[in-house]
Amino acid sequence: MIAKRAGYAVLALLFVVLLLAPLSGNGYIVSLCYITALFVALAYGWNLISGYAGYLSFGQITFFGIGAYAVAIGVTRFHLPWYLCAALGGVACAALAVPMGWLMLRLRGPFFALGMLGLAQTARILTNLTPISGGSEGIYLPPGANAIAAYYWTLAIMVGGVVLTAAIDRNAFGLRLRALREDERAAGTLGVDTTRSNVQAFVLSAIFPALLGGGYAWYLTYVEPNSIYSTEIELQTVAMAILGGMGTLWGPLVGGLIMSQVSESLSTRFPQTHLMIFGALIVVLLIALPRGIVPAVAAFLKKRGIA
Amino acid sequence: MRPELVLQLTIDGLLLGGVFALAALGLNVIFGVTRIVNLAHGNIVVLTALSAAIAFQRFGITPIEGLPVAMVGGALLGVIIDRLILRRLPEDAPTAETTSLLLTFGVSYFLVGLSLAIFTGDFRSVAYLTGSWLVGPLSIGKSRFLAFAVAIVIAAMLGVLLRSTKIGRALRAASQNLDGARACGVSIDRMRTLSFGLGSAIAAAAGALLSMIYAVNPDSGSQFTLIAFSVVALGGLGSYAGALLGSAILGLAVSFVGFFGNTQLGAMMPYVVFILVLLFRPSGLLGKSVA
Repeated sequence: MIAKRAGYAVLALLFVVLLLAPLSGNGYIVSLCYITALFVALAYGWNLISGYAGYLSFGQITFFGIGAYAVAIGVTRFHLPWYLCAALGGVACAALAVPMGWLMLRLRGPFFALGMLGLAQTARILTNLTPISGGSEGIYLPPGANAIAAYYWTLAIMVGGVVLTAAIDRNAFGLRLRALREDERAAGTLGVDTTRSNVQAFVLSAIFPALLGGGYAWYLTYVEPNSIYSTEIELQTVAMAILGGMGTLWGPLVGGLIMSQVSESLSTRFPQTHLMIFGALIVVLLIALPRGIVPAVAAFLKKRGIA
Repeated sequence: MRPELVLQLTIDGLLLGGVFALAALGLNVIFGVTRIVNLAHGNIVVLTALSAAIAFQRFGITPIEGLPVAMVGGALLGVIIDRLILRRLPEDAPTAETTSLLLTFGVSYFLVGLSLAIFTGDFRSVAYLTGSWLVGPLSIGKSRFLAFAVAIVIAAMLGVLLRSTKIGRALRAASQNLDGARACGVSIDRMRTLSFGLGSAIAAAAGALLSMIYAVNPDSGSQFTLIAFSVVALGGLGSYAGALLGSAILGLAVSFVGFFGNTQLGAMMPYVVFILVLLFRPSGLLGKSVA
């Protein structure tokens, strides 16, 4: 009980800090808060399909890219407000994820992962070749005071991720997903519509990167295939969810908070070896702490009789 | 379309396919015995291809001369991935399949980062044997032909190893029925490490040969992982014939699309073929294995 109350107090404090810190106007603080909120939110999105439903996806960056280009193209060619484009990107990705999920989720675990990896590469190359996306030269968005707006957009999505996951963690849908993850055939026998539940999780987990990609384009004011369909972003998202604990409610938050600070200091100090370090980090984490921080702490507290 | 052009592209595609087949055979050995989807497989191909390019450019060592060293290096890398990483999978890991997939995902990006740090992001290949033989209206690239021929020789040697030696029989037994093999006194533990070593050595050979005909950069790794899985899926996890057929289809796709579209579209083919194969043959990877 004490631990629970302390946890909520920390959570409230964190939210207040994230809400107010950027008002200081300090560019470094804004960028640090933005990176944190972005990765926590991305990790929540990834956690739905890969943590709860148990289908590892290495291609969620596809939706991130579509969201980013929706904003870049909508703003520069059609002169629409960016948040409208970002929202439309989210809707488009949700609609796209239905047939895509229905097709891809027929694949058994590891082949779904490979298929999504292939999809992300295909999307990157196609974007490179499509004239409306500016090809490899990319698109410049009108610069200005974009960062703060993009930040609050991202923070709102992050909070949405926490709330949605909290709901799923408790309701029947979450229970169905976990049953499917543990034993798809047994769950099917007990009356769980396997495809339907998995596709629902896939659609939800596609909306997050899509909306976040839209904010990212507005934040950076520049999109280009390699930096948008970024393997770094995908890799870090996965690493954060693993660190915190996949398939747990607080895992993405804890993992994202810690790892985004690490990432920020790494990328300034060792820009070249970023992928190498995060790749090694995933390996070390999985060996040292396979279930992540949150389950480990929960087990510790339970043992001590605190929680 | 001129018939000579079609024939020319067909030959180019088939020769390229021979090297793809070698990469796929390496994967087949690993996947057959361990059932682990090794996402780092293509990175071993690419790492070796880039090393071969540098070895030629700096020291004048041709990929053929470097082949033994490349294969030893690949074998070492495979054994390290198995012994030092995949074996450390803790008892309380959520599920072995998920965790080993994530582990090879981590290894894969570690190797991409390592290649980027060493070789930068430039596309590289080896300008060795640049001439070609003219056969009527067709020209057959010498390096292309040599890479293909060596790939076939190595594939044949692997076939002999798997079919006619004691170790090969043990590997095949392990891939067909783990418990049965164990009951017959085969050390599954050793077979697992052996399959990683052997499969990665073959991937490295494919990489060295590839450097003669195809430019790669560190990001190309996933392309070759998916090429290898597509070939296995197209041909079923069964026969050499299937693997060769699958590689031929992929080689042709890259060659034709690369010519009529552009090289980027050509490089996209492995991904597209992979997704199509899996969608139409979701069970393509569940057949028997070569090893």
